[in-house]
Amino acid sequence: MKWSGYKNLEEINEHDDAALDSLKRRLALAGVLILCFVSLIFARLWFLQIHKGEEYKNRADNNRVRMSDIVAPRGSILDRAGRELVTNRPSFNVVLVREDSNDVDNLLKKLSLVLDVDISLLWEKIREAGNRPRHIPIRLLEDVNWETLAYVENHNQEFPGIRIETIPARVYHYGDLAAHAIGYLGEISRKELESRDASIYQGGDLIGKMGLERLREKDLRGEKGTSYTEVNAMGFEQQLLKDVEPLPGNDIQLTLDAELQKVAEDLMASEEKAGAVVAMEVKTGRMLVLASNPVLPLKHFVGGISHANWNALLENKKHPLINKVVQAMYPPGSTYKMITAMAGLATGVVDRDTVLYCPGHYSFGNRRYHCWKRGGHGAVNLKRALSESCDVYFYQVGLRVGVDRLAEYANKFGLGHKSGIELEHEKKGIAPTKEWKKQKKGRKWQEGETLSTAIGQGFNLVTPLQICLMTATVANGGKQYLPQVIEKVTDPDGKVLAQFEPVVVDELKGEKKHLAEIRDGLVEVVQGKRGTARSVRIEGLTIGGKTGTAQVVRLSQYRHLKEEDIPYKYRDHAWFTCYAPAEDPEIAVTVLVEHGLHGGSVAGPVARAVLEKYFSERLLLAEEEAGKTNGE
Amino acid sequence: MLRVDRRCFHNFDWILFFLLIAVSIMALLNLYSASYPPITWGMPPYIKQCYLFLMGMVGILFVLSFDYKELHFWNYPFYALIIILLVLVLFAGNSAGGAQRWINLGFFKLQPSELAKLMLVVSLASYYSRKEAEGGYGLKEMVTPVLLTILPFLLILKQPDLGTALMLVIIFVSMTVFARLRIQAYLVGMALGGGAAVFAWFYLLKPYQKLRIETLLNPGKDPMGQGYQILQSKIAVGSGGNFGKGYLEGTQGHLHFLPERHTDFAFSVWGEEWGFFGTLFFLGIYFSMLLWGLYAAMTARDRFGVFLAFGVVMLIFWQAVINLLMILGFLPVVGIPLPLVSYGGSSLLTTLLALGILMNVRMRRFQTGLGADKVSKG
Repeated sequence: MKWSGYKNLEEINEHDDAALDSLKRRLALAGVLILCFVSLIFARLWFLQIHKGEEYKNRADNNRVRMSDIVAPRGSILDRAGRELVTNRPSFNVVLVREDSNDVDNLLKKLSLVLDVDISLLWEKIREAGNRPRHIPIRLLEDVNWETLAYVENHNQEFPGIRIETIPARVYHYGDLAAHAIGYLGEISRKELESRDASIYQGGDLIGKMGLERLREKDLRGEKGTSYTEVNAMGFEQQLLKDVEPLPGNDIQLTLDAELQKVAEDLMASEEKAGAVVAMEVKTGRMLVLASNPVLPLKHFVGGISHANWNALLENKKHPLINKVVQAMYPPGSTYKMITAMAGLATGVVDRDTVLYCPGHYSFGNRRYHCWKRGGHGAVNLKRALSESCDVYFYQVGLRVGVDRLAEYANKFGLGHKSGIELEHEKKGIAPTKEWKKQKKGRKWQEGETLSTAIGQGFNLVTPLQICLMTATVANGGKQYLPQVIEKVTDPDGKVLAQFEPVVVDELKGEKKHLAEIRDGLVEVVQGKRGTARSVRIEGLTIGGKTGTAQVVRLSQYRHLKEEDIPYKYRDHAWFTCYAPAEDPEIAVTVLVEHGLHGGSVAGPVARAVLEKYFSERLLLAEEEAGKTNGE
Repeated sequence: MLRVDRRCFHNFDWILFFLLIAVSIMALLNLYSASYPPITWGMPPYIKQCYLFLMGMVGILFVLSFDYKELHFWNYPFYALIIILLVLVLFAGNSAGGAQRWINLGFFKLQPSELAKLMLVVSLASYYSRKEAEGGYGLKEMVTPVLLTILPFLLILKQPDLGTALMLVIIFVSMTVFARLRIQAYLVGMALGGGAAVFAWFYLLKPYQKLRIETLLNPGKDPMGQGYQILQSKIAVGSGGNFGKGYLEGTQGHLHFLPERHTDFAFSVWGEEWGFFGTLFFLGIYFSMLLWGLYAAMTARDRFGVFLAFGVVMLIFWQAVINLLMILGFLPVVGIPLPLVSYGGSSLLTTLLALGILMNVRMRRFQTGLGADKVSKG
């Protein structure tokens, strides 16, 4: 090489100054090049950091902050005396966080043994979660017991990715008491999610599915809290930034009386009666008892009802899924005679002293209409007609009044339209008129049908609540109150948000005298020597009431059979409705026993038990006083 | 045998030195933050970088100890050594992420490809300064520089390390254009270069390398892959705003959203924590250093000095520009570090040695001919 060695270096130092200068001039161009790129970089920095700085700041925050919900404790449900019917307790769910587990397969194998759950069920839960983000916990098993909880917590090293989630769960202090009215919770469905505010509800949330839990969802649910956690790029949680505590839901105090409700439900259940028991305060419209038997087994609904349980409920011939207080309709039977009597007195076709003759049947057109008492009642006035429930008397009153005016008074007493009570799927029943038949059946009204209507059969259909309303209206002198179930709503601090106010829906004016005359007859039903509900009598309490039998079928083939030989589903329904104390009525109680046959002897005792409970203190006091006077 | 002129001390470029020290201190502070919280095992990167920085300082002293023109001679053994190392690395190198780039020297992993960049600068400077051509170089004169470039280029491409290999091409082009070619040589060169690029796209580039380039053109297409890195870097820098989130307060880096946050993306951490004015301050000093390097070239006493200084400035400048444009989302992720700022011993040492050469050129700007030797001998 020519250039190696020191000597040659001297040669290159003999440089050409002009060439060197031109080279150095080009350096200036290089300087310009550098400045151009520097400007470009600064412009870009300005764009990113100043112009879009705010936007990128938000994106950086979204990157690192993960928000998760804290479930709000749901409001409690109390009875009128403040007894806790439904409250919350902590429930422990076993959840899986997929991002923290690298071997889900093995994990589930171990877990299924510990939890004593089939592994396929666990996999099913994971499948349901689908492609939800991997950091969102999947509930594997809800509401585990203490032993399982303790085991999983103590061995958490063995179960990476498994955590225990604590959320409030419902506690039913009185079991299934008033289950139809209170209702239950369930996981929100996809359909519900779509129709609701996404800022409030998310998949996996519990929501009221039925009854007041559903109707009062807004009051009860409270507001979720939020937990802000910092996460790194792998999604692992770094630190808790802050918690916004949830706002508990509002408490709801019902007008129901748990003790009364229990008496009614227990008695119905102990005799395996299907039907409804309704009690209300006659001067306010407060509902005290809303019992529908068989009760709804609430525990089957916790965490979603299984197919088998649901089908069993569906196929049960006693229809536990139906709230019979408002959702089932029956012919009112002889309880309707209060209305026929009222219509008769009000229109003046009869008065209290009008005597009609009952030979055991009444001939109309070319048909014979029988009285329930084949031998006949003989001469009956209003009081006797009511107390002995003489059909022939009411046939004649009904005929004189006419079906349309009967319906008019039925409406005044709350039949034929919805009461407006805060319960779901209330049926309005039928108070037939000529117009109604033409519209619905397309045929002309037959006068003979007026006879059936007058004694509560025919096209008449009512709910047990309506009969209770009717009784209360008779008892309080003509005021039809809105039946209400909520005493008050209070926020978590105890502030009252809403309070019960009686609401008069309709009023029968100027008929106090006639109503008193009817009540005389009703008192005779219970207290009279030949009354149909003598068995309901309570020492020290005067009760007014009315029995009723609602025909299910009119098939003559069953007429001649002994009662116990008639198939269950063809047996008549039994009604008993009453109020007390007769002197100054406070409470109306209505009992319907499906296929119970006899109002007085089957439905009556249930009403009697409710009254005894309601008046227990006063009765005891009266008994003591009676004891004293005897002793003197 | 040290032959140092007393004037050398007098002419020592304190401005360049202090600019270098300022950049280095900020870079080490940033590296501390980028590797925060500290790892529980091994030596933290910023400590390692400190040691290497001190080593580099010793290296600068060594470089200053002889007249730069002796590089005309040392150039050849140096070139040979690097080529041997590059061959060695292909057979005995440590691999990481599918590439073989390092030779483990025990106390530190040497990346010969980094040194190869400096080697190419010195070799080309030596060649162009020795060979002058009236009206620019012709094709015949270009054979040697092209060969000098293409041999390490191919060896580095084989590792594969596309970024560093392309750096060699960029250095070659910069210095050649600076040295000036004849028109026809430019045309032929461009034709050959374009042909090589097309050939490379279809036959040489690995799929992941192509993806990087495609991602740049359409970053939304692949947010969790290559685009993710660029996006997270943009978020980091952008979220710094005016004054940044504060030292050690950046979340993008510390929560690992930012990939490679102490190597290629180290400056994103600075941007996040110090904001627009912080980046302006840092880059202001950084590019002042480079412009001062051009001034050093301007004042060089001879053609070799000019080429050396220019080459060193371009070596640092292009890496910095490519790295910054990548961080800011203008270029694909190619694995070019920001000299002095990114963690990496070989890059740091190479950069410091290069700056040592620059200082050397500047220090000996008043010596002419072999006067220095004569004086020191006398």
